[in-house]
Amino acid sequence: MPKALSLWSTHRFWLGLLLELGVKPRNIVLSSDTSEAQFRKYAKGRVAVETCYPAKCLSGHVGQLLLGQRRPLDLILCPMVYSLPSFIAGRVQDTLSCSRDMGAVESMKSSFLDEGGSGNGRLLTPLVSLGEPAIAERQLAESLAEPFGVRRRDVVRAVRAGYRELREFDSEMRDRSMEILSCCARQGSPCIGVLGRPYHMDPGIGHRIVDTLQRQGYPLLWNQYFPKDEALLRWLFAPDLKAGFVSDPLDISDVWPASFSSNTNEIVWGAKFAARCPWISCVVRLSSYECGMDQPTHTPVQRMVEASGTLFFKFGDLDATKPSGSIAIRTETVLHYLAERSESILSQKRARLPPQCPLTQIQAEVG
Amino acid sequence: MRERNVYQTEIMPAPESRLRIDNQSGAACEHYRLRPPRPLTESEKRRVTLLFGGATWKHERLMQGAMERLGYKAEPLPQILHRDLLAGKDYIDAGACCPTAFTAGSLINYLRQAVAELGPQRVVRDYVFLTAGGCGPCRFGQYQESYALALEGIGLPDFRVLLLDLKGIGPGSFETTVPFTLGVFWAFMCGDVLSELEYMTRPYETVPGETDQVLRECVELLYGAIRNGPDTGGRYRTVLWYLCAGHYRRTLARVLRKFSAIRVDRLRVKPKVKVTGEFWLQAHEGDGNYRIKQWLESEGAEVIPPVYTAWCDFLIQARRDRAWERRGTVRGARAVAMYLVVLSRLLHRAYDGLRASLANLPAALPSQSELQRLAAPYYHYRLEGGESYCLIGKALHAYRHRTAHMICELSPYGCLPNTMSMGAMAGVLRHYPDLLYAPIEIKGDAEVQALSRCQMNLTEAHRRARTEFEDALRRFGLTTERIREHERNDPALCRADTRIPHHGYAGTAANYVAEVAARLGAR
Repeated sequence: MPKALSLWSTHRFWLGLLLELGVKPRNIVLSSDTSEAQFRKYAKGRVAVETCYPAKCLSGHVGQLLLGQRRPLDLILCPMVYSLPSFIAGRVQDTLSCSRDMGAVESMKSSFLDEGGSGNGRLLTPLVSLGEPAIAERQLAESLAEPFGVRRRDVVRAVRAGYRELREFDSEMRDRSMEILSCCARQGSPCIGVLGRPYHMDPGIGHRIVDTLQRQGYPLLWNQYFPKDEALLRWLFAPDLKAGFVSDPLDISDVWPASFSSNTNEIVWGAKFAARCPWISCVVRLSSYECGMDQPTHTPVQRMVEASGTLFFKFGDLDATKPSGSIAIRTETVLHYLAERSESILSQKRARLPPQCPLTQIQAEVG
Repeated sequence: MRERNVYQTEIMPAPESRLRIDNQSGAACEHYRLRPPRPLTESEKRRVTLLFGGATWKHERLMQGAMERLGYKAEPLPQILHRDLLAGKDYIDAGACCPTAFTAGSLINYLRQAVAELGPQRVVRDYVFLTAGGCGPCRFGQYQESYALALEGIGLPDFRVLLLDLKGIGPGSFETTVPFTLGVFWAFMCGDVLSELEYMTRPYETVPGETDQVLRECVELLYGAIRNGPDTGGRYRTVLWYLCAGHYRRTLARVLRKFSAIRVDRLRVKPKVKVTGEFWLQAHEGDGNYRIKQWLESEGAEVIPPVYTAWCDFLIQARRDRAWERRGTVRGARAVAMYLVVLSRLLHRAYDGLRASLANLPAALPSQSELQRLAAPYYHYRLEGGESYCLIGKALHAYRHRTAHMICELSPYGCLPNTMSMGAMAGVLRHYPDLLYAPIEIKGDAEVQALSRCQMNLTEAHRRARTEFEDALRRFGLTTERIREHERNDPALCRADTRIPHHGYAGTAANYVAEVAARLGAR
């Protein structure tokens, strides 16, 4: 499978599904992280249109799987993900993928027409609405049963296993984020909230920008895995709930009514969370070059964060080139302000919230 | 140079006003929140002016008539100019696709002028901007935020931008009624058939400028008929009236009579260029797409303009497909899908009725199922957003049915979905190497590159049109002199309202030769 685009948030689903279908773990091959070398070798001359870098990279990943293996692969599974599972589904209009995320597969396919034996015979590109499990079961049963040589009901069972795997992974990640926040609450120390799309975790796309900050001792929380512990959320959003601005802590209708794009919704909610969480004293926003879905959110997200006094830094237009020099200068700036302002930001944000903090209560109970 | 907050001293401060400050509810209220625009009250509905834009001047004029008929004051924004792009770019977040930058800029420039004349308070009180909403996956539905940002930038944060959304997703929506929706929709359909008539006539007119003059008269004729149409009553009576009454068809018959006075010379050999692309850009007729349709005509081409009605049919089909996919898992999904099938058929029937009033000169709407089938090997029909499968489907439809020599696809730079289908077109071209396809990415400020790219394909299209015409003459044993002689005996052939059937050629001149041959019985 190409490790690109929405696979960064759904890989556990696919792994769970493939294992349940009887594919041995050693037979599941993921492409490597995105790199300039990968792009040069496998995607150069194949990208027909000017588009965002993460979408362009898909050709590199698929090319690596199609042309760069010692032993040819039996099947390359590159799903067109129409919608995504989201923790705020039900509170938003929809949880659709970015239209480039889904369409990039068709664009990529056209560039590999001549490779892969009989056309794209080894490429399997099912359309799947992961945001709606009942529909996903049907879609995948129709598209995977024959290539994998199994019955449809086996695929349905595998899809359910995939969702289970994804839920467990998601829950584990959120628990870890909760531990980090609890630690910050206990020590009164700051952490950094990262707002980005799942593929910004790919070192070739996010350029490890936030890793530099982490190495300086500031824990990171990625918006996809912000904790959603109910007591914590009710505490953070208590004034908003009380004033009736939102009906639920996961509600984003007060800031983003056109809430149909899954990753955008989660970034917007992440900005709200970061603005309210006292220990997140700084937000780093990552955005790729020509990301059309990020574009309308730039100012609103910045305002959401800055209105609370939280530091906001954006690393935008990320492309193939890693601008090491400018990243170093910018991270130095971030670190300077973190050191200078974190304490006051933390105390100001804490003062706005009700006195009974569930994180410190948990600590007290544990103690 | 930016002129942010130029009216800030006269009305409420701009950026802060978007944050709700409420001392009673405590510190949390300092958080950023959107302030939905004030809804239109009943008393306001007849007083405020509804600004709108985004269509051609013909469609906008007819829409104006439809709104005025219901008692609204409506005014289209002025024709888009290049300076609108600059204003738009200056005030909205960088990276927006050019239709949004143009529209936001057009609104900004209009409001600046209005503020200079009336003052900011009156502008905020007496005008609202109506725009279409969207529900993804493209960012189009999120641009209300960008308009709000632009308005804040010029110091009019309280100016209302209302969404024309049939779903009525929120307090910022404009409440649409059945008479409003159908009125505007029929205005669009009339604009579409009229546009087709215009573009198929102008390249062949013998008196330069005659088509444009007749067109202006016809637009006013239709505007008057729409504006002064009878009261259609309640919801169901309105639906029946639109489907059954011949009000629009009778007016279009008068339009045809006016066009019949235009003399045309269909022996002019011109390549037919089908314009497709992004919804806003393809239909646009101003600086937003470098006036490319006018440019194509000036370069000797006949343009097949896109029709909005086909796009509406595509939207219905997309929703039908989505509902059908949910059958058995979502209650009522099957019924919704069936309802949308009926709706699509009614739309085709209504459009065909309007075409019939114009002697079937405008083309029928393409079948969405056929477009999906043609595009299927290259683009999945469920990949929503933008024009989805339509771009590939329409290109292959024109190629296979021989209705155009060349496809000119207009996509905004940075358009999320259309760049993907343009990428998939690479596969199409590998299978259909002689399909003349000119994908033009429109930035709004790179006219020379765009037009020169188009020019390269157009040269080949000219050659093909000429070859096709000469083949037709040879095949039917005719000469231009012989055809001219026949025209003198059958002068109706030289009238713009005479339909030349499709005889299997892409070009009008070749089909004309075949038609004359048929009439002469010279096979």
